[in-house]
Amino acid sequence: MALSCLSRALRSLSLSQTPLLSSQTLAKVIPDVQLPLPALSHSTNLQLCRGFLTTASLDQNQTKWKQRDKYTIKPIGMKKTGGRDHTGKVRTHGIGGGHKQRYRWVDFQRLRFEEGKEDQAFDEKVVEVRYDPCRSADIALVAGGSRKRWLIATENMQVGDLIKTSGVIGRMAVSANEGDSYPLGALPVGTLVNNLELRPGSGSVYIRAAGTSGVLLRKVNGTAIVQLPSKQQVQVAETCMVTVGRVSNVDHNKRIIGKAGRNRWLGIRPSSGLWKRKGGWAGRKIKPLPPMKSYVNLPSISAA
Amino acid sequence: MIPEATQRLRSAAPLLSKAASLNDARLFGVQPRRHLNVSSRRAGKINHRPPPRDRVEIPGLEAVTYADRMHYVPGLSKPVFPRWEMGHKDPRFYRSPPHRDMALHRDEPCYVFHQRSSILEGVRQALWLTKTKLTPGLPPQLLALAESSANQIADQDERVQNAINHACFWETTEAEPKECNSSTLVHNLLQLCSSLQAGRPALGRRMLAEKYSVTASWSRGEDLFQVRGQNGLLLSSAWPLPPLADRQEVEETANHELETFYPVAPTIDLQTTHLYNPSENATGFRNDYPYPHAHTLYFLDGVDRRCRLRPPQLRAKMIMFCFANALARARGHAPPEGPAPPLERPVCVQAVGTDGQTFQFVFFQLNTTELTNHSGVKNQVWLEEDVPLYDSARLRPLMRRKEVMVPAGLIGYRPETFRKFLSLYLHGAQ
Repeated sequence: MALSCLSRALRSLSLSQTPLLSSQTLAKVIPDVQLPLPALSHSTNLQLCRGFLTTASLDQNQTKWKQRDKYTIKPIGMKKTGGRDHTGKVRTHGIGGGHKQRYRWVDFQRLRFEEGKEDQAFDEKVVEVRYDPCRSADIALVAGGSRKRWLIATENMQVGDLIKTSGVIGRMAVSANEGDSYPLGALPVGTLVNNLELRPGSGSVYIRAAGTSGVLLRKVNGTAIVQLPSKQQVQVAETCMVTVGRVSNVDHNKRIIGKAGRNRWLGIRPSSGLWKRKGGWAGRKIKPLPPMKSYVNLPSISAA
Repeated sequence: MIPEATQRLRSAAPLLSKAASLNDARLFGVQPRRHLNVSSRRAGKINHRPPPRDRVEIPGLEAVTYADRMHYVPGLSKPVFPRWEMGHKDPRFYRSPPHRDMALHRDEPCYVFHQRSSILEGVRQALWLTKTKLTPGLPPQLLALAESSANQIADQDERVQNAINHACFWETTEAEPKECNSSTLVHNLLQLCSSLQAGRPALGRRMLAEKYSVTASWSRGEDLFQVRGQNGLLLSSAWPLPPLADRQEVEETANHELETFYPVAPTIDLQTTHLYNPSENATGFRNDYPYPHAHTLYFLDGVDRRCRLRPPQLRAKMIMFCFANALARARGHAPPEGPAPPLERPVCVQAVGTDGQTFQFVFFQLNTTELTNHSGVKNQVWLEEDVPLYDSARLRPLMRRKEVMVPAGLIGYRPETFRKFLSLYLHGAQ
């Protein structure tokens, strides 16, 4: 089939045949000729051929596996990119190969209510805590009401635990257990937190890696200031949801890779061995902490 | 072709003759074009187009569209044309109406349990859904049926081991089979049990049916539940099974509290549907079937590779389908609307489930069809779980560092498992 396609294409390129004169070109030349669409019958002796691909299968470039709308706990098959972007060129070096992985869709928006049960604090039961190949932390399958979802597991989460999620900020601070999720304004100052949201309701973006935890430093009129694991401080709205405790898999940074092959199993390709003279950007730098980043849109003093 | 076009074509004939070559075309200043393009979809291009705008329908206001003008006019809205309808019915292109327009649509959801359902809480959830009290272990009077010498098959152990060998070794074409064929095993064991028919003519008044569908609906609290679909082999008999618990024990079940499993809801892992018939109850057979009473259900777990259940979920499936068969039998005589009359005599169904090695035995007794409220008389179930028939049946020995860990062949055969199977088969044949 490929051979016939190729031969048909080459035949259409040959110059000894009558070339295809489109009706538009003829109409330009002879304006009053009204022709029907060119009937490509045997008499014109033309070979029309549609274009064909000269590359490998292009399904590898498509990210259709990520376009799923409906949430599922079933692991989704992933396509590896090898560090290539949509043009096919390497954008990030050192990525490629590695063990096949399936993606487990983790629900980062902890305060997600079931249909019909909006605005009520709810409990969920931990069904399973397991390893996730796509991240350093472990994930937990939790079930509550009529639904099940994957969450990032905290340090001491066991099967059968009950974890609470509440969006209410009371006057008194809540004494939170590990694994529970509350808004920042409801927690006492000094709690270790993880899975921090930057904007209320958008899903957690910070403090998700294995063993990490942030510290709630202070709460100041409607906002809360959290210290991230990199010692940087951020100011977010106090209604942003956060989980209490440290993320699971605490000894992740103490592991020893042991051999080059293990890195290859993780999908990390070797860096180029070429020695390059490093400039002023390299080496240890001791700098003061960057200023606190604020994600709260407070009205400025200069307005009005 | 149109006559005018024919005339014009004739006048333009010299230009379109076969002899017209590339040079003639170039005289007119016209370049020939090859069309070897590959569409962007085929080339895997991602065209980042803005998503189509949401259409806002304002009742009472008619949008001014460019439909009449027959071409795009900036400023007027895009017309929405009705879908083209074929004038006739063609089954290849049938479009089902939207769910809201279907006759069986209801606003309240119905939670359906089918043969592929794997419910999270297992037996606890099945007990809550069917308002049942669990007694672990089969009662001794049932197990004693197979102990008496009159009910022993000649060369019983040897013939059962032959049946296991057939299912595990003789039927497979793989070099290292992972498990034994539960379908072959159960059919062979049933064949063995029915060889006792010579001494007991009552055993002949039974029929085995495969691929039958059962439907039962009931409500618990405010939710509506249904069990529907195929489940396994059905051994049905001409007369009903005798109940295991007498009237006094049945009355005592009213004091039992059903176990809840907060925060998980009892509807988890059940299929939610809005298209259902709320009073549908069917045993799967017509009214004039000569063997109307369901005797034993045989659940073959490993047969369908896509829906293999863990043992707790398999036990839950057995309880749910036993309940469905019993309820469909009990409700079959009642009118579709109105409260069901109380049961004079409990309806009993047995079940055996296996994955080829481990057996689960269930005896279900339906005492009441009043399931809406959580108090009152409960149904009862006797459950014997995880009874192995043998320890291992491997075609090739399991070797670790050139040492035999598990030898080949049938190892660790347990004769009492087949005796339990036989006693469930013989029950009710007096």
